[in-house]
Amino acid sequence: MEYKEPREAYKGVIREITIGKGEKTLKIGGENILPLHFFDEGSLPNPPKFALEVLDMEPTEKTPHLYEPFGDVISDPIKWAKKCEGFGVDAICLTLLSTDPAEKDVPADEAAQLVKQMVNEIKKPLIVYGSGDEKKDAEVLPKVAQVCSGDNLLIGPVQKENFEVVGKAILDHGHVAIAQSPLDINLLKELNVKLCKFLPPERVVIDPLSSALGYGIEYSFSLIERVKQIGIITKDSMTMMPIIANLGDECWKTKQAKENKTQGLLWEGITALSLYLAGANILVLKHPETLKLVKETIGGNGTCQN
Amino acid sequence: MIIIGENIHVIAKDVSTAIRERNAQVIQSLAKEQAQNGANYIDLNVGPMKKDTEETMKWLVNCVQEVVDLPLSIDTMNPVAMEAGLKYCKKRPLLNSASGKTDSKTQMLPLAKKYNCDVVISVMTDKGMPPEVESKIESIMETVSYANELGIPNEDIWVDPIILPVSTAGEGQRIAVGNLEFIKILQDVLPGVKSTVGLSNVSNGVPAHLRPILNRTYLVMLNRYGLYSAIADPLDEELMAFVRGENPEITDLIYRTMDGEEIDLSPLSQKEVAYVKTARVLMAQTLYSDAWLEV
Repeated sequence: MEYKEPREAYKGVIREITIGKGEKTLKIGGENILPLHFFDEGSLPNPPKFALEVLDMEPTEKTPHLYEPFGDVISDPIKWAKKCEGFGVDAICLTLLSTDPAEKDVPADEAAQLVKQMVNEIKKPLIVYGSGDEKKDAEVLPKVAQVCSGDNLLIGPVQKENFEVVGKAILDHGHVAIAQSPLDINLLKELNVKLCKFLPPERVVIDPLSSALGYGIEYSFSLIERVKQIGIITKDSMTMMPIIANLGDECWKTKQAKENKTQGLLWEGITALSLYLAGANILVLKHPETLKLVKETIGGNGTCQN
Repeated sequence: MIIIGENIHVIAKDVSTAIRERNAQVIQSLAKEQAQNGANYIDLNVGPMKKDTEETMKWLVNCVQEVVDLPLSIDTMNPVAMEAGLKYCKKRPLLNSASGKTDSKTQMLPLAKKYNCDVVISVMTDKGMPPEVESKIESIMETVSYANELGIPNEDIWVDPIILPVSTAGEGQRIAVGNLEFIKILQDVLPGVKSTVGLSNVSNGVPAHLRPILNRTYLVMLNRYGLYSAIADPLDEELMAFVRGENPEITDLIYRTMDGEEIDLSPLSQKEVAYVKTARVLMAQTLYSDAWLEV
């Protein structure tokens, strides 16, 4: 009897989502195979993408080996973002840390103006994260959406506490939402169900929360893996969205990463590689050398194939 | 199906206050209401009951027996409270519950023999809750055989597979499906034993207004595979209607969903749609979220 390779064909397809407009666009998702299952029926039209994180204020805690590659531009977010473009990123991720009431409590208008300026000056698509304070984000993120109307930014975190107001602004002004839930697949689905009552699912990216190596990465790994399986194998419409793994900051918060550079790069690199293997479609890192390391590890076309 | 009324439960604040203050009226009205709604047993869940154990149990058991003619289910992990309760029961009570844990085997099971009563035995062991259907079956066979050696026949044993909330991060749905399988094969592995479940636990953690439909649907599903009894809320009239075999159309829809049929929802009423969606969640055909009826 002739041996026949087993080949699975799946029902679900991760929605393909475009971020940015004009020349500055980026596609994520679109696959109908599990991560790296190139031996099955189907394809991965858009290999995972990488962004570097830029803060909108000079970091208060400056781990020297983390910020050394950026020199003195860390006090200027626009220059910082431009510098990142030189490191081969697919997108820039701007975190509006200064708007946090526990930081500088910068007003929504001011933050939105900075975002608009950055959109105009950089050549890559932009991801915008609010501070994570759900009340302040409910002011800041709609303002960002409005000021950058039509720029098709990837905006988050949209959380269960503010999805109505933030989601509505994202819908009205033509952006894509980052739906964030606290490491729980049932809550993740619930948020998507509620959000997609008014926002087309083609405008939603999932942020399941990314924990760092040694600080709960197992939870993030199995969650991302499961979201992908449920989307692709069982065709659950509410999990068939691309996944963003915003992991850089989580890694550089750890004692191990702060201790010394090699350890820090590896900490961020292993975390990124693990979540890439689990199925993340776009990964946000902090250190340009980690980006280089990860890209070398997975190969030039981003598929671990030579 | 035998319904063991769950509403006299110390976690309810009015019940714990009533017991402490010896307020017979509160307890008796709860007992009467459940009896009127068709409960076959009244469960007395008294918790660990460390203080005035003997005297409190005597008061409580007599208080309920004054107004209802039903057998009681004495529900505590404390063997002293258990014996105090069993002692005063006029009708053959249910010891709720024993398990495969060493303490339970040595302290609870002998009480079932001594008072010649029915006994709930759960699948728990010293190692905790067996994770798979196979390991649950293995554990219960061992404990039942131990009980048999003490002289407790299979017919007096009500096996409890332990129901967990369906809403817990993924695992809950797998366990819900596993427990259906458990009830389905129970008679083959332990002929003659009865079975019971703590039904409402399936919806623990779910928003209050959504709990009843999960409880009712799961009861219909378990009943299909021969579940003998359930500790449940007899005041849920729709639940009791299912117990009486009413709502055959909805029951049929639930069964067809269990069999994997892709049911066309468009001709169905809103209520029927809700039952089909709930059955899909309990069969793990679709990932659970609190918004399962809205998808």
